[in-house]
Amino acid sequence: MEEFRFIDLETHDAYMNMAIDEAVMRAIKEGKAPPTLRFYRWKPSAVSIGTFQGMYDEVAIDYCKSQGIDYIRRITGGGAVYHDYEGEITYSILMPMKHPLAKTDIIESYKLICGGIIASLNILGINDAEFKPINDVIASGKKVSGNAMTRRHGCVLQHGTILLDLDVHEMFTILKVPQEKISDKMISDVKERVTSIRDILNRKVSVDELLESLTQGFTDALKIKLLPSKLSDEEFQMATKLAKEKYSSDAWNFSR
Amino acid sequence: MIILKEANYKVPDGKLIKVKLSVSSEKIDQVRILGDFFLHPEETILTIEESLIGSVKDEISITETIKETLNESDAILIGATASDFSKVIMMAWESK
Repeated sequence: MEEFRFIDLETHDAYMNMAIDEAVMRAIKEGKAPPTLRFYRWKPSAVSIGTFQGMYDEVAIDYCKSQGIDYIRRITGGGAVYHDYEGEITYSILMPMKHPLAKTDIIESYKLICGGIIASLNILGINDAEFKPINDVIASGKKVSGNAMTRRHGCVLQHGTILLDLDVHEMFTILKVPQEKISDKMISDVKERVTSIRDILNRKVSVDELLESLTQGFTDALKIKLLPSKLSDEEFQMATKLAKEKYSSDAWNFSR
Repeated sequence: MIILKEANYKVPDGKLIKVKLSVSSEKIDQVRILGDFFLHPEETILTIEESLIGSVKDEISITETIKETLNESDAILIGATASDFSKVIMMAWESK
């Protein structure tokens, strides 16, 4: 059974959340950190965009500024995600490229790690959850989790969001949803594309309940042992530096 | 960069591609390929964009240039193909 360092639910701002992922990757590269699973929330709520997306193309910047919502570019591809503090949990899993759980095939890799989310949803009583290539988990045909991966620093990083609650109006006020994406799926109403755990179960599932199911779900699906721990001082210092110099900078966030 | 031309395309069963293009003297002056696709290593996108500067409006040769860069960078593109990128560049080029 593979062991993973487990960093239990933490709350940070967007810059620190993304900086921690990179700091852990760098530490793993240098052999200074073990494979790691972390859960976290975003405060203030924030929108993250994929590394190839244009910030102004995807995000209503003026609205975000007026509401105190942060906006950040990820190092991973994929689409824009609204991380509502009350409405989701984000996870990151990081391991060396040569780790037994790091599949060479990227879609297989997504499928394996998304198994943790599916197992978690099963625990909560959602039994029709499935992996939908390339990088989604759906339930009742609607997206409930989006995921993104990068492979650099000799590492595999996958992070993703699991939607607990969804304010569709707020989400589509913050995100600029391209018409092409909607018409391709022959769905006239954007609200039909995405769902949340509370919508599916029709009850107020708490953050703690979701957290518990995720912890168990990842343990079961990946057959790993979680060893509760925290960032090293060196990782924390690196993350603080990256948050300040990279992830909060316009040079990074508005580079495209 | 003055954005002269732009096009969006959703790859069937794939990702969204957005191209921003400026053309001067019938050649690509600058191009940005945006979207929610995946490309490993990610930095390859800059190499692709740079390699296309000076290209003439020829879908096949643009596809070849992109493929070449992907090969040279040992890169993996997911949710889109070199031909899709090229197609959207053409769409942008032909837009008003």
